[in-house]
Amino acid sequence: MAGALSSLKIVEIGEMASAPYASKLMADMGAEVIKVERPGAGDPARVRGPFPGGQPHPEKSGLFLYLNSNKLGVTLDIARPEGFELLEKLVAQADVLIHNVWPPDMDRVGLNFERLAKVNPRLVMTSITPYGLTGPNRNLRAEDLTVWSAGGVCVLNGGGPAHPEMPPLKTFGHQSGYQGGVHGAVATMGAVMAQLRDGAGQHVDVSCQESLASQLELTFEYWPYMKLIATRLGTKPIQPLEAMQCKDGWIYVCCVEEHQWKSFVDVMGNPEWAGEEIFADRLKRAENWDALVVFLEEYLKDQTVLDLYKKVQARRVPFAPVSTMGDLLNSEHLKARGFFVEIAHPVAGTHKYPGAPLKYGATPWEIRLPAPTLGQHNSEIFGQRLGLTAARLDELKRTGVI
Amino acid sequence: MARPPLDGIRITDFTWVWAGPYCTLQLAHLGADVIRIETRTRPCITRLLPPWPDRKPGGLNRSGYFNQYSQGKRSITLNFKDPEAHEVARRLIAKSDVVINNFAHGVMDKLGFGYDDLRKIKSDIIALSLTGYGDTGPYQDYVAYGPAQVPLSGLSALTGYRDWPPMHAGFSYADPNGGVHGAFAILTALYHRAKTGQGQYIDMSQWECAMDMLAEGILEYTMNGREPERIGNEDPLMAPHGIYRCVDRPEKVMGTVVDQFVAIAVAGDVEFGRFVAAIGKPQLGDDAKFATLKARKANEAELNRIVEEWTMTRTAVEVARVLQESGVAAAVVADNKFLSEEDPHLKDRNYFVYNEHPEIGALQHCGIPWKLSRTETSVRSAAPCIGQHTDEVLTQVLGYSASEVAKLRTQGALE
Repeated sequence: MAGALSSLKIVEIGEMASAPYASKLMADMGAEVIKVERPGAGDPARVRGPFPGGQPHPEKSGLFLYLNSNKLGVTLDIARPEGFELLEKLVAQADVLIHNVWPPDMDRVGLNFERLAKVNPRLVMTSITPYGLTGPNRNLRAEDLTVWSAGGVCVLNGGGPAHPEMPPLKTFGHQSGYQGGVHGAVATMGAVMAQLRDGAGQHVDVSCQESLASQLELTFEYWPYMKLIATRLGTKPIQPLEAMQCKDGWIYVCCVEEHQWKSFVDVMGNPEWAGEEIFADRLKRAENWDALVVFLEEYLKDQTVLDLYKKVQARRVPFAPVSTMGDLLNSEHLKARGFFVEIAHPVAGTHKYPGAPLKYGATPWEIRLPAPTLGQHNSEIFGQRLGLTAARLDELKRTGVI
Repeated sequence: MARPPLDGIRITDFTWVWAGPYCTLQLAHLGADVIRIETRTRPCITRLLPPWPDRKPGGLNRSGYFNQYSQGKRSITLNFKDPEAHEVARRLIAKSDVVINNFAHGVMDKLGFGYDDLRKIKSDIIALSLTGYGDTGPYQDYVAYGPAQVPLSGLSALTGYRDWPPMHAGFSYADPNGGVHGAFAILTALYHRAKTGQGQYIDMSQWECAMDMLAEGILEYTMNGREPERIGNEDPLMAPHGIYRCVDRPEKVMGTVVDQFVAIAVAGDVEFGRFVAAIGKPQLGDDAKFATLKARKANEAELNRIVEEWTMTRTAVEVARVLQESGVAAAVVADNKFLSEEDPHLKDRNYFVYNEHPEIGALQHCGIPWKLSRTETSVRSAAPCIGQHTDEVLTQVLGYSASEVAKLRTQGALE
């Protein structure tokens, strides 16, 4: 059985995480993705790493290899007229163009929907940008840290009320890019469904900032509803909900419902302190957390993470290990589900990567190709598919267009 | 404008709390008719949580948490202790394209709505189950709560200040992340069904979706056998790269001073030159301690002190404006008040929505993070009151007569 999206053809002009993640989601479901990189350096994800042996190499960057498996790779300078012409030829044969070209650069090279829709009226063009394509902040410069901050997420994390001196804390990695990417993939698939129905394309304008502001749990509404500001300094209304240290690592102690606390107390062997009035309900346990934490630390220091996790989960208490990368790779559960996948790459070698986000009953998620080396498919795509002669390809290469 | 992309697609929505409702919210944003199955005997926990308008708790329809993530959906109430309620649900499923739940593993089977049951009701049904651990594997019955999924995923081990313990993301990130991935999966399955006529079952594990956001951390381990160190707000390829204190908010909120921060990311040497000019210290651009990335990383603590000396006497808005005008990436570390009232950009994009709600009026909610140029993109209505659409759905969609509905209500099937 072919992948669910195996009849879909996508052109991606993507760098770092957002647009590349959106098209990766689709490529892994069977879509053909032609990734366009700038000649010379290519996607800046190629310099991000991690690298085998810690040695930077443009074909061995973990971030790039992960985000771009299953894609065909070409190089093309779309700022040059000959380059844009080739882009138009690629787009003419595609269903979808996904890009995250910075809006001032879109203006500079003339990358806009009106122009491409003339070439292909069925085209779905998705622009995933830090702030979206309208509004006063459209042209702002952005990195993952600044977008995570502008989206209202970063302010929620930090050292907590005990450490007001510590600033808001960024979450690891390129999360604003990933979120712009997956929200962009949803919007793109929406437009693809409308394309299927109406035979017409459209422009999809995705804002990474708004993708983050859309998932602030209950914190955003604290202002419109109650005129309260939610920050990293908020106290937890109920306890215990904390990462705590065991003998061999950290475990997230999590009792939301009263029956969960009672079961945990039972697992602890019903110690006398647990019967104290100051720990009688989840609100009191939060009020008297300073006292409770001492007892819990005393108990946890003799426990091993996996053993305690299994013991409390057997009583339906939602603890979880604070997983290290090693814990994830060694997890019996993830092994049984076959989550991690090996991908062999001609230059970077064979490594294990995170696998399918979802398991489909009828259509496969599969890795068909490793990430492309820079310009790997230039002759296949420009020559065989678009019909350029070898002499023309040489000339474009010599002049730096591809 | 043309009809929204999922106009005519109906979703029987068994979801609750956050991951599932965030999933079906995306589909409602795309125009699907999302019908939430609820029960008064055990209402969605988010109906019982703050924030409350005017700080007055109470009722099942006034919570900002529920009202944010249920916009544009309909609600019917069914009491599955009554067999007639099952019949109503079966009739709804027969008229649906998609069934989504985020109950613990096995609950849908017990209710009689496992995938095999659903397929008997409608042969091309698409079913999605959003769980913490997925439907197979030795931990399939483990209980997953939002806050614990962040550390489980590996994100906590990677996130934290230098020399601090693992930390959280500040919110239950794996929930919406799982939800939005689930929405993507539904769309791909709808596409496949449109092409082939075939429905399918989709098993989603929040844990796995979250690990797909952590590839750099996981690959450091699989490539090099190393656990990545926690580096706070730093970046290996940029300095300065951090979050810096600015002057506090001018007004107190609930009698408390609210501190303010700015995020600054100086991408390279060119940007560093712009940055030092902007803060009035151009000589630092030639200082051997800071002239190259390597030097700036080696002297990052000293550099950060210089940056913060400058930001501390200014508002976050001013710092972000001055730096952006100089060509350096910077942004206010936005809190909910800033997003709600002070960010001119979100207002200009009409991001926020103010739909009329029968009990709370037209309060501000977050809208849709994308815009489609040809098909209508709008949040059609405020979140439903509990059971608001029971009569409407039973009579108009499922073909019950008014008297049949009245009888079902009398016997308690619609609680």
